[in-house]
Amino acid sequence: MPMSRCEDVIARISTILDQEAGPVARLRFHAHLAMCDDCRRYYHQMVAVRSAAGHVTPDDVPPDFDRVMGFVLEHLDDPAPDKGGEDKAG
Amino acid sequence: MDETELIRLLKARDRATWNQVLRDHGPRLVGYATRMLGDRGRAEDVVQTSLMSVMRSIDRFEGRSSLRSWLFRAVHNAAIDELRRGARYVELVSEDEDPLAGAFGADGRWQQPVAAWSLDERIDAHRLLALVHDEMDRLPHAHREILLLRETHGLDNAELAEALGVSAGNARIRLHRARQALRAAVTRRME
Repeated sequence: MPMSRCEDVIARISTILDQEAGPVARLRFHAHLAMCDDCRRYYHQMVAVRSAAGHVTPDDVPPDFDRVMGFVLEHLDDPAPDKGGEDKAG
Repeated sequence: MDETELIRLLKARDRATWNQVLRDHGPRLVGYATRMLGDRGRAEDVVQTSLMSVMRSIDRFEGRSSLRSWLFRAVHNAAIDELRRGARYVELVSEDEDPLAGAFGADGRWQQPVAAWSLDERIDAHRLLALVHDEMDRLPHAHREILLLRETHGLDNAELAEALGVSAGNARIRLHRARQALRAAVTRRME
């Protein structure tokens, strides 16, 4: 049985995109899309935007990291300052 | 090498391991900070400070989170501090909180037709790519950070929550809204 409310379908989009929805939920989702132009359009736009957002540019992974790396490694043997706290950096 | 062994070597100040970890993660950390701060030089400074902090506190790392999410969390926190110091952190306003508020009627159906655009009809892939990146860099930081971490740098849900210091449920809701906000911003540019 397809989901009948567009609002419910759109609320599930991220779980579908992230492949977190179970098989029945996926089936209902796509059954609704087959009948609803607006939700189908919205879904395909979300897929396209997400895919473009995931496109990695040289700004996202710069090839030259030597200055920072060199500085950090220079201090590798510095004495550790304080103790306390857990799993928190920065 | 599994992460437990990796952490052991990092705690032992093993230079080759630190070198490898910095090579593996450093460029993406700089990339993340650059997109958050909008300035490569400041981003490098922030990452440098963060990595120094990580190095000093590595003995306290217990492996409850992944190393990658711990590194991103350190850089994320430092980038947010830097933005707030300069009063440049863009907060969410109410319409950002739920980009689809008012979009549906009482019957749960769309109140207005969804704007028509698709890669086939009105836009090619290169133009969409440029638009999406441009709009990501204009989004409020709370949306931008979660999209960069998830979509651009590939953190999974657990890592995302750890990097942002929020619950997994909160991260999931924020990611959903950020994706909706980005789609809405791109759609406005199509009109």
